[in-house]
Amino acid sequence: MQADKLLRVARWEVTKNAGGVDKRTLVVMALAIVAMGAVAAVAVSGSGSGTGLNADIYRVGVDDTSPYYDVADSSGSFRIQDPDREALRNGDQELGFSGERLLYLPRNGKQAAALADFRSTTESYNDRTLAGAENQTAAFPVSVTLVYAEQGGQSVLDTREATGGDGSGNQSEATTGTPDADGNDTTTATAGNGTTTGGDGGGDTTTGGDGSDVSGGGDGSAAGGGADLGGIGARLTGDVEGGTPADISPPFPFESLVLAFLYIVPMNFVIQAYGSSMLSERLNRRGELLLVTPASRGDIIAGKTLPYFAGAIGVAALITATLRFSGIAPGGSPIAVLAVLPIAMLFLAATFCGAMFARSFKELTFVTVTITVSLTSYAFVPAIFTDVTPIALISPLTLVVMDLTGQSIGVGEFLFSTLPPLVTALVLFGLGAGLYREEDMFTQRSIPLKMLDALAGQINSRRSAAKMSVILIPFIVVAELAAVAFLFVLDSVSLNIFGTNQTLGIVLILGVVAVIEELGKSLHLYAGYAHARYERALRSALGLGALSGLGFFIAEKGLLIVRLSDLERLPIGDAAVSGAPPPAGVPLWLVALVFLLAPLALHTVTAAISSVGASRGRWSYGAAIAVAVVVHFVYNFTVVSSLA
Amino acid sequence: MPEDRPWYRDPRIVIARRDVRSLSREKTIVLALLIQLFVAAFSGFLVVGLTSLYDPGAVASGEVELAITGDAQDELIEAAVEQDGASTVRFNDSTEARRAFQQRQVDALLNATYVDSPDGGGQRIAVTARIPEGSIRSTLIVVNVRRVLSTLERQERVDRAGYLENDPVPLPPEVEASPYFGFTYTILIPLLLFLPAFISGSVAVDTITEEMERGTLELLRVAPVSLLDIVDGKSLGMVLLAPAQSLLWILLLSFNGISVSNVLPILVFITAVATVVVTIGVVLGVATGKRRPAQLLYSVLTLVVFGTAVVLPEHPATTIAKLAVDSPTLGTYAHVVGAVALAVGGYALARRYADGVDASPF
Repeated sequence: MQADKLLRVARWEVTKNAGGVDKRTLVVMALAIVAMGAVAAVAVSGSGSGTGLNADIYRVGVDDTSPYYDVADSSGSFRIQDPDREALRNGDQELGFSGERLLYLPRNGKQAAALADFRSTTESYNDRTLAGAENQTAAFPVSVTLVYAEQGGQSVLDTREATGGDGSGNQSEATTGTPDADGNDTTTATAGNGTTTGGDGGGDTTTGGDGSDVSGGGDGSAAGGGADLGGIGARLTGDVEGGTPADISPPFPFESLVLAFLYIVPMNFVIQAYGSSMLSERLNRRGELLLVTPASRGDIIAGKTLPYFAGAIGVAALITATLRFSGIAPGGSPIAVLAVLPIAMLFLAATFCGAMFARSFKELTFVTVTITVSLTSYAFVPAIFTDVTPIALISPLTLVVMDLTGQSIGVGEFLFSTLPPLVTALVLFGLGAGLYREEDMFTQRSIPLKMLDALAGQINSRRSAAKMSVILIPFIVVAELAAVAFLFVLDSVSLNIFGTNQTLGIVLILGVVAVIEELGKSLHLYAGYAHARYERALRSALGLGALSGLGFFIAEKGLLIVRLSDLERLPIGDAAVSGAPPPAGVPLWLVALVFLLAPLALHTVTAAISSVGASRGRWSYGAAIAVAVVVHFVYNFTVVSSLA
Repeated sequence: MPEDRPWYRDPRIVIARRDVRSLSREKTIVLALLIQLFVAAFSGFLVVGLTSLYDPGAVASGEVELAITGDAQDELIEAAVEQDGASTVRFNDSTEARRAFQQRQVDALLNATYVDSPDGGGQRIAVTARIPEGSIRSTLIVVNVRRVLSTLERQERVDRAGYLENDPVPLPPEVEASPYFGFTYTILIPLLLFLPAFISGSVAVDTITEEMERGTLELLRVAPVSLLDIVDGKSLGMVLLAPAQSLLWILLLSFNGISVSNVLPILVFITAVATVVVTIGVVLGVATGKRRPAQLLYSVLTLVVFGTAVVLPEHPATTIAKLAVDSPTLGTYAHVVGAVALAVGGYALARRYADGVDASPF
């Protein structure tokens, strides 16, 4: 790759591209964006004025003598009508009041929902009217201070050995940043510093409206730069944690998420333009002109991508600067922009692959929508838990939220969060580059065949089996982390609803992990067979499978990226990492042997199974991979349940 | 144009059929449906997840055990009795209570004391609530603590009502209700029903610009059809796709126990909205002839149009919500009629524009 050629392509992409954006378009775009800003301003300023978005979906029958008249009038969810028993019975009215008396008990879901909504509206109405009362002590007789504190002992979510009840939670956890390989980290770490017990309690018990002293407990752990995200909890909400009962809000960084959404929206416009530009290279053999120049494939792709990448990062920098200097998020720093970088790369890389795969503009539109939806959810779902658990760090967006709220971010956290998507993006670019050649660009091949082309493009010899397993590792890591995040939501929901103790979640995650890993180990083998790069014989198939398993094993153990984080503090994260902690009392050499050899054996055996299947055609590949998944699952399940 | 041709051989119908067929041949329509299913599943999943986080009490029956200390503990315990989600343990010694909290015997530690109010008007109850941090359960605990404290506040207000000039409005009775009801109708259903329309518009841009960029429009023009026929046919295919998908959604939703009322007006409204966005897409396609600028402008313009709709007395999403939940007003129907008028008028204008365009340079 040569810089001058790359820059020449980039310049050409900006100035005189085949599908370029002309001046007229730019003017219209600028006008439209200004209009959008104006609309947003109108929407924000007029949100209280009762137009547009007020979905008054419930009809309340109440006359103006009733105290509930003003309540119904204060919320956008209710439309006021005259009380009418007939209408109530027919379902043309949801609620009816005569004075303070409810006329009709709810009969259906809609009426019940209306009543529940009306009840909470009444609560907030009371708080609002009493705010103007003369005697504030009588109006708000209860003042609350919330203190977040770490507990010792056995937790519902934390099933590991507890640390004998010393109370120094925050400070001690900060020192456990890198747990040792045995997994039993807490016992070693908390030994030396049980002295701070109760120390943070004394200062916090003041009442009053400021939340700053409350978060004092959180500061200690954040400054440690280790992995204890829980300690940040109280600060992240940014809300006042003292006040009246109505002021208490559960830890949920809603506003920061809305801010973070600002970073994702422009990406969609960037990838629209980028995808169009890439696909139009493939129309009417336009890209052939570039392909015959002395510029290499890498130069062309990098050059054509650079302007869009720069645009995406520029927008992110602009947003951060705007947020910072307008005072909305004064904590915004270049770290937020750096954290957006892997997301931008991932968006562009996925679009590049999509543009290489798509056969028409229409198809590209659907592919772009798919990318938008799936990457946005990848960025968002974990970030919802920013203050709850380390699981949030799976998405780099969490770093943005943390940075905007002015928290310090450790190097380990930053790497854990950004490396997997970054490497995945690079691999995606690599796979797409395998298709950036005449045979694939200008022909109409079906998508599965192109997928195999992309994989086979990187296969040279038998040793490639191991290499490909290594290359695909980032995908596997990202997919597994995303699955962990999704199942974590599911799990916490089921925990709340059914009170289950996470068994279902763990079984599910084991299954998902088995499927993802087996596909990652064998898909490229199948591509190799389909392209006749490998010999279709039993011995060769077994050897290739073993190589693939070996490559996977080395990459997985070498990576150890999950270990960088606190993920294994959660059982569900623990299950995703196949190397579970060994039981105590077993000699160390035996542990080492078993825990290195058993996964190696597993990966080679399952890869060999699917390799043999892959060598015999499509259907037997499907069957073999099912067998491999079952074997993998049984292994994981045995390991996890025997060690639990 | 020969008059003996059956209606389905009309060139516009033929072009519409050809476009829809090419979609299904590429299997992209399946992808589109899968995406929408994903969006639906995802939103549903997010709703359940978020609601349970945001208001776990709405979903959970999980009980929270609170340790209560301080000289106002009797009042607090009395308030907690009214709440199903919380049980209390009385501690007279605060060190012992803290130990119970540290050893996870209780979920939260509440210390309630009487303090003199700063403005000198009597005494307040000051509650310090110690909540375990860093677990998903803390949200549940916070919500339950808040309920107990709200009850306490309400009781105290009643006791002190003599000092208040306005009595607080009594709360209506509490009922079991789906916490997702409002969200389902005001956000999820409009989102699901509008998505097909917006995708249709985007595909309309593609289908025009692709013919132009590939040069196949020239071939179509050799056939005895005008540019107007082509625009008509392509728009027709895309416009009709949207209500078809919406109907699919409505069926799927009712299959899941979410009944959608006023299906016919909703479909009419969706068709009108789809016509508007497809018109925008087609005009942009014909005007620019290139996908990149056309798509960019399309996404920005539809956002602007949809955003500007806030100034209407009723946002289109609200119109859908009111129709679906069966609380329509006359205004709601007026919006449906208005949308139809806008669609017809806008499309007529677009046709006049397309008729005047000389397509030969493409």
